[in-house]
Amino acid sequence: VGTRFVSLLVKESIQFCRDKAMLALILFFYTLDTVMCTMALTFDVKDLELAVVDLDASSVSRQLIERFTVAQEFKVVGYPRSEAEAEAWLQSGRAMIVLIVPRDFAGDLLQAKAPQVQLVVDGTNSNIAAIARGYVLKIITAYSSAWSQRAGPSVPVYLLPSHSLSVQPLTRIRYNQNLEFSSFMVLSMIALAAMMVGVVQPAASIVREKEVGTVEQLLVTPITTAELFIAKTLPTLLMCLLAVFPGLLVVRAFDVPLRGSLPLFLALTTLFLISAIGLGVLIASVTKTLQQALLTSVFGLIPILFLSGTLAPVESMPRILQTVSLASPLRHYMEIILGVFLKGAGIAELWPQALALLAIGTVLLTAAALAFRRR
Amino acid sequence: MKPQRIIAVMVKELRELARDPVTIWASLLMPLTLLMLFGYAISLDVKNISMGVWDLDRTPRSRALVDAFLQSGYFNLHGVYRQAAEMDAALQRGEIKLAMVIPARFHAALERHDTATVQLLVDGTFSNTAQIVANYADAIVAQFHVPDARPVTAVRPEIRVWYNAQMRSVNYIVPGLFAVILLAFPPLLTTLGIVREKESGSIQQIFASPLTGPEFLLGKLLPYGLIAFLQILLVSVFGIAWFDVPMRGSWWLLLGAGLIYVLCTVGIGLLVSTLARKQVVAMLLALVVTLMPSFLYSGFLFPIFTMPVHSQWYASAFPGRYYVDIARAVVMKGAELGDIWRNMVWLLLYTAVVFALATWRFRKKVA
Repeated sequence: VGTRFVSLLVKESIQFCRDKAMLALILFFYTLDTVMCTMALTFDVKDLELAVVDLDASSVSRQLIERFTVAQEFKVVGYPRSEAEAEAWLQSGRAMIVLIVPRDFAGDLLQAKAPQVQLVVDGTNSNIAAIARGYVLKIITAYSSAWSQRAGPSVPVYLLPSHSLSVQPLTRIRYNQNLEFSSFMVLSMIALAAMMVGVVQPAASIVREKEVGTVEQLLVTPITTAELFIAKTLPTLLMCLLAVFPGLLVVRAFDVPLRGSLPLFLALTTLFLISAIGLGVLIASVTKTLQQALLTSVFGLIPILFLSGTLAPVESMPRILQTVSLASPLRHYMEIILGVFLKGAGIAELWPQALALLAIGTVLLTAAALAFRRR
Repeated sequence: MKPQRIIAVMVKELRELARDPVTIWASLLMPLTLLMLFGYAISLDVKNISMGVWDLDRTPRSRALVDAFLQSGYFNLHGVYRQAAEMDAALQRGEIKLAMVIPARFHAALERHDTATVQLLVDGTFSNTAQIVANYADAIVAQFHVPDARPVTAVRPEIRVWYNAQMRSVNYIVPGLFAVILLAFPPLLTTLGIVREKESGSIQQIFASPLTGPEFLLGKLLPYGLIAFLQILLVSVFGIAWFDVPMRGSWWLLLGAGLIYVLCTVGIGLLVSTLARKQVVAMLLALVVTLMPSFLYSGFLFPIFTMPVHSQWYASAFPGRYYVDIARAVVMKGAELGDIWRNMVWLLLYTAVVFALATWRFRKKVA
């Protein structure tokens, strides 16, 4: 039994390594694609296009405007003359935010009449709008309290507020102090790569043998189905585990810390890969041609991907989809990879995810093994 | 170029499609499925954030602050903790996204008109949500009403959000999806339709016939363009009606621009089919040049203006971003031709180039 299995394993490994296109694809997903997407794709908001309508045109109003021009969150695209012109800019997408400083801004401020500054935000992208609104409020609050503290000579003392804020928030961001999206993105790209390769590779390699007809030759040999099953999946598993290492280098290059333990990460990655491979084999057993297999895996991967929390947070989904997403192995793996890297979580925190992966993996592998045998 | 020859190819192609009802149903149902899935699954709205409180003060004032959080509608109280370690563990496990520590003497400090400091800990793993959570929390604390303190406002900001006043993310996800879905399906269908003939060898018969390259491509284009246009009609009407997206612009403009866009995406399919001999290769190629960039580099989810410059160029190399802009402007802003003509010109140019390339590549094959 031993030699038979070993020779089969050797054959599969050789076949795997001969497939240059697949190897290149795996390496591409783990390195170049990860780097490219991490650099490009971000929800971090900077350089918001701001148009300023300064109806006051005084030195005081320019002080306020300067607070916006120096902030790197904003990029001033111009100074429309009137509100109507500014609105046209918003409509054509030339500006995303319009700041309108009213006439008599300086006068009202000096008389402590609390002038109103208007901001119009393009809400097309509600996400950017919410963040932009926060930035704007922060800048104006800071200006406002700086003004009251400085208390220019012309402001009567009795008009000064007693303190700037009665309750002061002291906000700290945990696990990702600089709120950089890149650390999230790079980890989620690594998880995606593992998912795609884990599903597509075994599906393609098994279906190809079906299409070419060599699977008949394998069936007439004394090899048992179980041996064939393991020999088909083991090289993929090993290759995917090896591919994690260049991925780790990419992660390091983006200054993402590994706060948890590497062996734990690798162990849980293996668990995750087993469920991905199970899905791949399942697809291969129910399809006949490579085209069907590829189409099925692509359209199967899309929901798994979008229900995983890699692109959009799971908490914002409707309850039903949140429940459905529990069946996606990628969702649990995302929590694991973020937990191990950013939070330094150990098995004490991650055992529910590990258990879920184990359950999903067992179901998929059993289904795959059954479908595999029937053929 | 003879019209009757083009029509002959079209008729042949339509007959072939009619005999394959599975493909037709799949090509109409798949976009709808994707629309439903993404319309619900991709939401960047931040709401129902689970928070934890460690209240060292336990006075009516401190409870009022917690109430202010709960009444804002953004936060759910997940746990009240007695120890720092408990709270940390909850944050660590990801059970709560925000932890608030109210110091002892919070009430006393406010009574004395001192400034009291409240500590807010935000889980930063998903930086986008974290940013919004931090903004909301800061605003709630800053606006926390203390009865006899005098208001502090040297300048009053009045912020209005236009085009999407309730800031529903589905309003911009759905118009963006039109572009994504139509970049994913029509090219794939077209590519497979042509490469199938190459693989089975029936393309040799076409080469042997008096049919010219452009005639063949046009004959192929029209049926697949028709299906693609049905797709855009279905996805647009259904998407806007089902998800209750306010339609502010003109349907004619949206569908007119959509027609140019689908011709462009079908053209990409034609181009890819001239590059590949095998269906598998054609499919992978179509995925790499259409599906991936349409999700990631179209501005559908990730804004293009925050990308580094070279990635912005990369994004400009795919038609998705132009139609994403057009669809959002027409649907949400009620934009007219005057507002979006730039994107329309890019789209037209893009389509022309794709067709020129496809014809050129195809002719070389015939020779």
